[in-house]
Amino acid sequence: MYEPDDELERELRRLAADAEPVPAELIRAAVDAFAWRDIDAEIAELVYDSLLDAEEASLVRGPADQRMISFAAGGMTIDVEVTSAGPGRTVMGQIAPPQRATVDIRYRQDTVTVEADELGRFRSGTLPPGPASLRLRPPPGDAGPAIVTDWISL
Amino acid sequence: MAVDPDDTGQLVRGAAGGDEIAWRGLVARFSGLVWAVARAHRLASADAADVFQTTWLRLAEHIGRIEHPERVGAWLATAARRECLQHLRTAGRTTPTDDMDRLDLTPAAGNPTEEAVLAAEKEREDADLAAVLWRAFGQLSGRCRELLRVLMATPPPSYAEVAAALGLPLGSIGPTRARCLQRLRDEMAGIRDGLTPSS
Repeated sequence: MYEPDDELERELRRLAADAEPVPAELIRAAVDAFAWRDIDAEIAELVYDSLLDAEEASLVRGPADQRMISFAAGGMTIDVEVTSAGPGRTVMGQIAPPQRATVDIRYRQDTVTVEADELGRFRSGTLPPGPASLRLRPPPGDAGPAIVTDWISL
Repeated sequence: MAVDPDDTGQLVRGAAGGDEIAWRGLVARFSGLVWAVARAHRLASADAADVFQTTWLRLAEHIGRIEHPERVGAWLATAARRECLQHLRTAGRTTPTDDMDRLDLTPAAGNPTEEAVLAAEKEREDADLAAVLWRAFGQLSGRCRELLRVLMATPPPSYAEVAAALGLPLGSIGPTRARCLQRLRDEMAGIRDGLTPSS
């Protein structure tokens, strides 16, 4: 049966494929994403993002360049405050319950490592915007799996 | 056992087991959808690229925990939509400019998207139809453009994936699609008849 709607939709699809194809470098990045998996680590899921979950009113009143994000895994939470200054991002974190850990901040092409102190606090230098994830490793000699957070866009 | 590239559930289970070929199959099957979700939300190119990458990184991390492997397309669409909303919030807070006019597909005069489209279309014998269609598309309401832009993904998404991409009820997709395509025909007729003031 001839379906004029289907034909029109196909024509639109051809146009989009010509005018706005998926950039080849992004397809490569998606393929490469598979290599970032950390199959032994526990995932700390994104449970709060002030950009999405805060009341509209408090969002407007809050500092314009600060974003609060929380991840949770088992009995642990990781609260992160992202500060924007121009194109740069700074991450300040708090692990609860408080504990020492080595924190790998994984982003695009690189990983930077910082230490969380005995109060569970850590802080990054200036990072580029884009996809990022935290990987928490317990101190040497401490048993327990590493924890990786959901990827977020800084 | 060879993985069937058309069996989404099998691709997810294969990738969860570490099979990179299966993962590539997922990227081939759904990168068009994820990209279309980003474009439908009319993000700047850099933001659309971030959404795309973050969505795939997140799937890679979660690949072993996808509850309904056969519905991973809707999972990706939901994740991409959430990332898009976050970027729109960020843009709204840090850049007061209205991205909508600058970045959507609306063929305004001198818009490079239109120029690229027109240049590409010249080589085709159906250049007129394409130009009229693109221009008509740009004149649709934001809601129709969003819906159609997701539907324009290659390969074609399911209605469940479109619903997830836009946060709409599944049952509304079919009727809205029909209405928006009719609006598109009306706009095309208007352009052809010269009833619409040309820009």
